[in-house]
Amino acid sequence: MSTPRTAHMVTEASRGGRESHASRVSRSALEWVRDHQDSFRLPDGEPALDADANWTLKPLGELAQLTFSIRAHSEPGSARHGHASELLGFAWDQTRQGGLFVDLLRGEPFATYPLEIYAAFAAAGLRHPGFEELAVTVQRTRGWERIEQEPNRRLGMLNSERRVGLPPSGDPSAALARTWLGGLPEPWTFERTAGYWLTHVVFHLTDWGNTPRLMPAELGGYLAAWVPAWLDTCLEAEQWDLSGELLAVAAILPDAASYTGLADAVETGWARIADIQDAAGGIPETGLGRPHEPARDFMHCYHSTLVAAFAATLADVRLAGVHPAAVQEGVA
Amino acid sequence: MATETNAREITRDLDVEMDAFLSPSEAEGTYRDSRECAALLLIGGAGGLLLSPPTPRPKKG
Amino acid sequence: MVGGTVGTLADDQLGLAAVRVLGADVLLPSVLTRRRPLPDDLAVFQRAVLTFAPGATSSETTVWSHWGMTQTLHRLDAPATGPGAGPDASWLEALEWPKLTHQLSILAALAVPGADSAVAQVAADRPVDVARGFVRAVRRRDWLQAAGAGRWLSVIDGVPETLGLDTGLEFVAQMAGADARVGLHVHAAQHIRAESAVNAVSAGGRG
Repeated sequence: MSTPRTAHMVTEASRGGRESHASRVSRSALEWVRDHQDSFRLPDGEPALDADANWTLKPLGELAQLTFSIRAHSEPGSARHGHASELLGFAWDQTRQGGLFVDLLRGEPFATYPLEIYAAFAAAGLRHPGFEELAVTVQRTRGWERIEQEPNRRLGMLNSERRVGLPPSGDPSAALARTWLGGLPEPWTFERTAGYWLTHVVFHLTDWGNTPRLMPAELGGYLAAWVPAWLDTCLEAEQWDLSGELLAVAAILPDAASYTGLADAVETGWARIADIQDAAGGIPETGLGRPHEPARDFMHCYHSTLVAAFAATLADVRLAGVHPAAVQEGVA
Repeated sequence: MATETNAREITRDLDVEMDAFLSPSEAEGTYRDSRECAALLLIGGAGGLLLSPPTPRPKKG
Repeated sequence: MVGGTVGTLADDQLGLAAVRVLGADVLLPSVLTRRRPLPDDLAVFQRAVLTFAPGATSSETTVWSHWGMTQTLHRLDAPATGPGAGPDASWLEALEWPKLTHQLSILAALAVPGADSAVAQVAADRPVDVARGFVRAVRRRDWLQAAGAGRWLSVIDGVPETLGLDTGLEFVAQMAGADARVGLHVHAAQHIRAESAVNAVSAGGRG
């Protein structure tokens, strides 16, 4: 475990600069995820249909999605690229190389989550033909096209379809227009729920930071103006996972450097996240950090820590002067 | 002028408090987010939509 | 709004202190309507200015709110200490937007049409920052700060359209309930915005 960390430090030292908060969090948060890999394991047997998916499949799906994005933003051959690849491979193995998704789809053919989680693997080139055959049929129905769901989730479905190579079941700009963020709402109407809506709209719209240029310029300007205010209040309210998501949004914004005050707000945010991180690299979902709280368990930490690893990687790449679009060339 | 003098004496004490009035520190933030109220819309464990129309009964005769 | 009521406070030192706390806003109706205040009101106002002159240890906002009062007297062409360039405002320039907004909000009485103080200049230079401060204050449910920030936003240019200031001001006033200070700032802001809209139309200028 200590070897890659040392190697990374050497790289930092050779750059001649002090390591940024974002860089440090990107490393230590991913370290935490690696140390807790076993906690992402699905329950033994055939868990998927009976177990509460929010406690089993959701963490695994997030692990796949975010490690894929981390890998896409890392230099091949780097320690980060290697770690992210290993975790992504682990997650794929947990799904029995996609076999799990076939079972899920047969059990719940009109549920959208099997496709949404599968799409993260598919984007990474990990595919299961049997799943896709059934998915194509289900996805061709008028019923699928009209599944009633939150507008930001619809945008996520469209991105999933795109990743898997299915014909889109709707128009992305129409879907965007129906979201909270798409309406450029008064920024003071922001609260926690709206925060999750808007960050996910950005993630789906830009394929989790891989294609930042897909963000309409008007939206970029709007976000650059208001993210600092939202981030500040989420940090004060000790909403660490949402703060991490907003930091990811800030890192995805094209031309972020040109917006007044955004860089300072981001720097403050990363300093705060680094401060809340425990010795093992974990970040709680909400609440005060050390020394006010007892030991943090996996379910209370995994989401914030994964999000922080993802957001900090995007920020680190940004700080290093590599535009995400350049990284994207490396994505299949 | 007596009034002026008197005022100065009283306001000497007020001065200290005056500065507190004129440069108050920031109020503590109060965060309250909307609650979801999904119970009316979701089936929960009961197996049926609470807001769905009543099941039609077969007509007699 | 205020006319006539200030005079009754003349004999009351606490009342005089209250006038000092409200600051230049005591004569706001006269400033906004460009009408001379009642002589009694003016007398009490002047007395508060003289009685509560800032000292060496006074905070920047205390110094500035006092300056705002003398400036108001000057604007109303009343005998006063005369106009001044105003105290130093560099402390404000260095502040990050949350603290800037908080300090500006305390000094919201200086946010009047045509204000040309150094404080007003800082606000005018940082419209996006003050707008962020307004958003932050609403989210923190600090209605007084939001109202003060909203009032500043009503006198400066360059506020992002998406802020939705008009609805925001209504929202803040209603959420704050009966807080008279919030009501004062919101009403001032609304009045200023209505006036500047009229002026813009008659001048065929900016909307």
